[in-house]
Amino acid sequence: MSRAGAVAAERAAGGSRVPAWVRPAAVTAGVLVLALGPLAIVDNLYIQTVAILTFLLVVSSSGWNIISGFAGYVSLGQSAFIGVGAYTVGILSKHLEVSPFLLAPLGGVAAAVLAAILGLVAMRARGHAFVIITIAFLFLMQTLALNLRSITGGSAGITLPLPTWSRDLGELPFYYAMLALAVLSVALAAWVRRSKLGAGLLAIREDEGKAAAIGIRTPAYKLIGFVVSAVLIGIAGGIDGYFLTFIDPRGMFDILISVQIVLAALLGGRGTVWGPVLGAFLLQPLSEVVNNYFGTQLGARLLVFGGLLALVVVIMPSGIIPTVRNAVRRWRERGSTVPFIEQPVRLATVPAAPAANGQAEAPAEPGARAAPDEPAEPVGTAPPGESAARAPASAVRVSEADREPEPERVPILEIRGLSKRFGGLTALDGCTFSVREGTITGLIGPNGSGKTTVFNLVSGTIPGAGGEVRFSSRRIDQLRSWERPALGIGRTFQITRLFKQLTVLENVVAPLRHFSLRHLASGGTSGAEAARARELLDLVGLGSFGDRTAGTLSFGQQKLVELAQVLMLEPRLILLDEPAGGVNPSLIQHLADLIRQLNREGISFLVVEHNMPLVLELCDPVVVLAAGRTIAQGPPEAIQRDPEVLGAYLGGDGSATERLPRGPAELQEDAPAGPRGPGNPKGDAPVGRER
Amino acid sequence: MGGGVLQLQGVVAGYGGGDVLQGVDLRVDLGSITCIVGPNGAGKSTVLRAVSGLLPPRKGTITLDGRAIGGLDPAGVLEHGVVQVPQHGGLFPSLSVRENVLMGAWVLRRDRSLVRRRYQRVVETLPVLGEWADRRAGNLSGGQRRLVEFARSLMVEPTVVLLDEPSLGLDPASLRQVYDLVKLLNEQGVTILLVEQNVRVGLGAATWAVVMESGRVRLAGPPREVLDNPEIADLYLGGTISRTGRV
Repeated sequence: MSRAGAVAAERAAGGSRVPAWVRPAAVTAGVLVLALGPLAIVDNLYIQTVAILTFLLVVSSSGWNIISGFAGYVSLGQSAFIGVGAYTVGILSKHLEVSPFLLAPLGGVAAAVLAAILGLVAMRARGHAFVIITIAFLFLMQTLALNLRSITGGSAGITLPLPTWSRDLGELPFYYAMLALAVLSVALAAWVRRSKLGAGLLAIREDEGKAAAIGIRTPAYKLIGFVVSAVLIGIAGGIDGYFLTFIDPRGMFDILISVQIVLAALLGGRGTVWGPVLGAFLLQPLSEVVNNYFGTQLGARLLVFGGLLALVVVIMPSGIIPTVRNAVRRWRERGSTVPFIEQPVRLATVPAAPAANGQAEAPAEPGARAAPDEPAEPVGTAPPGESAARAPASAVRVSEADREPEPERVPILEIRGLSKRFGGLTALDGCTFSVREGTITGLIGPNGSGKTTVFNLVSGTIPGAGGEVRFSSRRIDQLRSWERPALGIGRTFQITRLFKQLTVLENVVAPLRHFSLRHLASGGTSGAEAARARELLDLVGLGSFGDRTAGTLSFGQQKLVELAQVLMLEPRLILLDEPAGGVNPSLIQHLADLIRQLNREGISFLVVEHNMPLVLELCDPVVVLAAGRTIAQGPPEAIQRDPEVLGAYLGGDGSATERLPRGPAELQEDAPAGPRGPGNPKGDAPVGRER
Repeated sequence: MGGGVLQLQGVVAGYGGGDVLQGVDLRVDLGSITCIVGPNGAGKSTVLRAVSGLLPPRKGTITLDGRAIGGLDPAGVLEHGVVQVPQHGGLFPSLSVRENVLMGAWVLRRDRSLVRRRYQRVVETLPVLGEWADRRAGNLSGGQRRLVEFARSLMVEPTVVLLDEPSLGLDPASLRQVYDLVKLLNEQGVTILLVEQNVRVGLGAATWAVVMESGRVRLAGPPREVLDNPEIADLYLGGTISRTGRV
């Protein structure tokens, strides 16, 4: 019986491209076998007991999988929720004349409440610290059960009412109740995996900082994920307590149960819906066999668990289902070729957001959108051009052309006196500049001058610093990272940070501008948002790559996916960190066209880039950083003639002015020529001069 | 400079299902600076990973001066004097820059004086390393990390250096520095195989150019010929190169 279920589960999850009817048919067959099987073994109480314990392990391992498999927060205290459920039912049944089956859902409520409280504390920690907190939680629950004697009976435990049904039924009511919960928990895991909630949890597992940078409200996701992962375990714990009829602190809060939960998921494949199921169907019967063979002395079972864990880690670290799935995929795709980028990219018009898009229809906060003609100057009435001039740092200088204020252009982003130190290293030292609405502002400077740190502080990727960041005249430097995309700020990363294990489409769909519970339940990669994501992928020329795993794309392709991902947020301001880095020259021109087109549609840009021809062609004005300060800003023509910029950025030693490039043509030596006309025919770029 | 070659014949390799490299035949003369260019996703970085042992080829042979190195693990390839500087992400962020560079000589760790001498030499070649020596590598900017990664690869005094987009994230001054270093190493007899999207710079420094497309080598020849091939230039090199940047 259990083997049939396991086989069904394995078959159902084995191939990724089996015919559409196979999976539901296999699942239905498995459930039917499990549902009708007991009629054949109605008087075999032993098999019924093993089955009940197996189903309990399915429920708890599937629950564990939601927080630890999907979100990557490994909990070793998940079995505490079984105990919490059992104790809730045990305590209540002393006072209430109700069937414990009806009390079991309250065990789920108790587990959910405790999970929420634990989550508020534990979710602030990551990695090992989180694991240790969850273990501590388990022991805390055990200690409470031991010491709150008047409620829990202390070490003597609680005896629950005996079943009232006919002896002929054996354990079947328990069997069906637990089977129903097992089916429910698999359904829940499958639903979570497909929903926005699941997409968010996976994003958190892959890269929590990046998840926040695209607007995913990570604490809320983790907390909800933790509660969801605990609730069914609590209900199952209530039924388990009734089934056992006697519960005590040592048995109910045994850490070995947690170990078994984790091991089942690791064995079957954590992060997959069916992995914990398969693992439970293998592990629980095995554990029974070992108990029968060697006696219930703890040693033998522990040895088997340990050996199994070692085997899994060595032979198939990702678990049975992912290993089989990969082998099948590899076998199917043997000799096939990987598609390549279509180029040149045909530049489509930027797709408008679908009106029915839940993300787009949510209204922007009033006040967040300053009308372009509204002079939203927060302090005094000084025109934006002067904000730099009155900055404290004396090195800040405003280029000639920038002294003419353009009153119709409001700063969308203002950075004032921004400072940041890493240990003893000063990354930013009173950096001050602004990005006016509707511009493509360039940000250049030598390596280590603080460009990426500016980005990190604007997007909130790294915490606090001195100075102010204002977006549309609203101060944002105290906002959490995930709150900033909601205002309309999007960014890309110098070294791309895609969720490597997710598909390209899942990556592009992942950004969330607004948070709502209703939204969490909607499909992760379906509906209007997925359609828009496909349009955006087409826009960057990667339309046929939607189903590929993001980590298998080349670096340049990942850059383009990240751009599509940011556009999903419909930002008003995009910070691009070296958009042309690693991108083929034949695409750079298209990239520039794309940026310009998006700019015409109203998006402002702040671009860090070392490809000078691209900067000169695309950006106006250009801001120059050196050693954490703004040393110049102005139109590109002025910047490229500025001796200080040339000295600081273009690598002259400051004395040999005659070596400095005299115009745009010479600056082009570093990269493919832009449309600014023919380059220097002699090509005496430093790297070419030895020819 | 020796007459040996690093040779790939019919190399097929990929990640998971499907092949990224679909039969790559490539000849890199020892002593040359060979630059691979081509569209995004053509398999350029994958070639480097196949040579350095990070991605074992599924089919085909890779030989260095007649000795088979295909299928060896990265440590085995390193013993043949082949070292790869990855595209990014190779530094230990909580170690200092000095420790990171010294880590490059891990295989030589028993001979401390040799390691010290090598470190001195690397710092002489890239003086900025001395300035950064005590900084945490995690506090360096993206471009600074690239320089440290490059410096680290020199600690084993390699005979072949595989460079994956050395220009990425570098400001013009650092870019010049890296390419000056490439040429200096090459003059000392080190073979350089590099992948570069900054075609102008990469081919400018190279003595041999290779164009890849869709997992195969489409064309190989002197950089000038490749740049002058109008079809290649229009398709993969940003078009205007050959017209404006004729060398």
